[in-house]
Amino acid sequence: MAHQAHAYHMVDPSPWPLTGAIAALLMTSGLAIWFHFHSTTLMTLGLILLLLTMYQWWRDIIREGTFQGHHTPPVQKGLRYGMILFITSEVFFFLGFFWAFYHSSLAPTPELGGCWPPTGITPLDPFEVPLLNTAVLLASGVTVTWAHHSIMEGERKQAIQSLALTILLGFYFTALQAMEYYEAPFTIADGVYGSTFFVATGFHGLHVIIGSTFLAVCLLRQIQYHFTSEHHFGFEAAAWYWHFVDVVWLFLYVSIYWWGS
Amino acid sequence: MAMSPTAVVVRRALAAASQGSHEGGARTWKILSFVLALPGVSVCMANAYMKMQAHSHDPPEFVPYPHLRIRTKPWPWGDGNHSLFHNAHTNALPTGYEGPHH
Repeated sequence: MAHQAHAYHMVDPSPWPLTGAIAALLMTSGLAIWFHFHSTTLMTLGLILLLLTMYQWWRDIIREGTFQGHHTPPVQKGLRYGMILFITSEVFFFLGFFWAFYHSSLAPTPELGGCWPPTGITPLDPFEVPLLNTAVLLASGVTVTWAHHSIMEGERKQAIQSLALTILLGFYFTALQAMEYYEAPFTIADGVYGSTFFVATGFHGLHVIIGSTFLAVCLLRQIQYHFTSEHHFGFEAAAWYWHFVDVVWLFLYVSIYWWGS
Repeated sequence: MAMSPTAVVVRRALAAASQGSHEGGARTWKILSFVLALPGVSVCMANAYMKMQAHSHDPPEFVPYPHLRIRTKPWPWGDGNHSLFHNAHTNALPTGYEGPHH
């Protein structure tokens, strides 16, 4: 029987990178087809393929790590670097939208009335629901830290409770934002104010949904005994991502909701 | 930067909880969750609710500003004239508010 004489993970051939790339192609071209020819078939196909890819690829990673023992310390170190680099790329992604916001709001053009918020725009009161949203996300940062310590101390029940609470807070944030989007007196079509507001907060909301889903997967895994007190990188990655989402919100709140009103 | 005694105590507890031994760290964060985080959320919920009640319910008067309600290209849904989260009560169309209420 052949052994590997090193601690690294030589991954078996997998179809998921290819299906993921095909999904990306179908979603992007599908979006263009939808915009110009009013058919959603291609885009829907791409979306289904994306969901299947994500489910199967991450399922395989869980099998390789949790059940087959391939995630040795050096492999885990590589995963840590990977997650950190990914979150860094996301920071730059949001940096672009903040750039757009400050570009437009620091020197408002005459077409907008030479002021920010532009003439005719009623901004949301930052001390109503936006402040509540801030409290919700900060609280979820505390509960996810409680969850982490619980996992490290082998406190199974507390880990499940705190993780569930974190996810509930995430859902509450999403529900509040959806309500705010519906009740807002301005829309995405209201000039550069609407564009910067809804694109920046919209992508943030998408990341909240992604983060909540990641945490929910961790909850399922915790319930199924995947994590040990020494080895639970999937959870750590989810917690890092969640803190990142929280920090982006704080910047959004201070810049767009508060200063921008 | 902590000024109040509470903030100093919290900071010391947080420092202890983050140290290598991790003894009792879960308990500290559990206490913080139920004593600080969740009550903070409740206070903000009450505040937001009371402020919302104090609002006037009428949307601002419609002025057909050319820099707002832009329609360079129709949306690919419905009649192409309504945003995704369109609210007939608070969002006017380029021609004004819809419906009999305005």
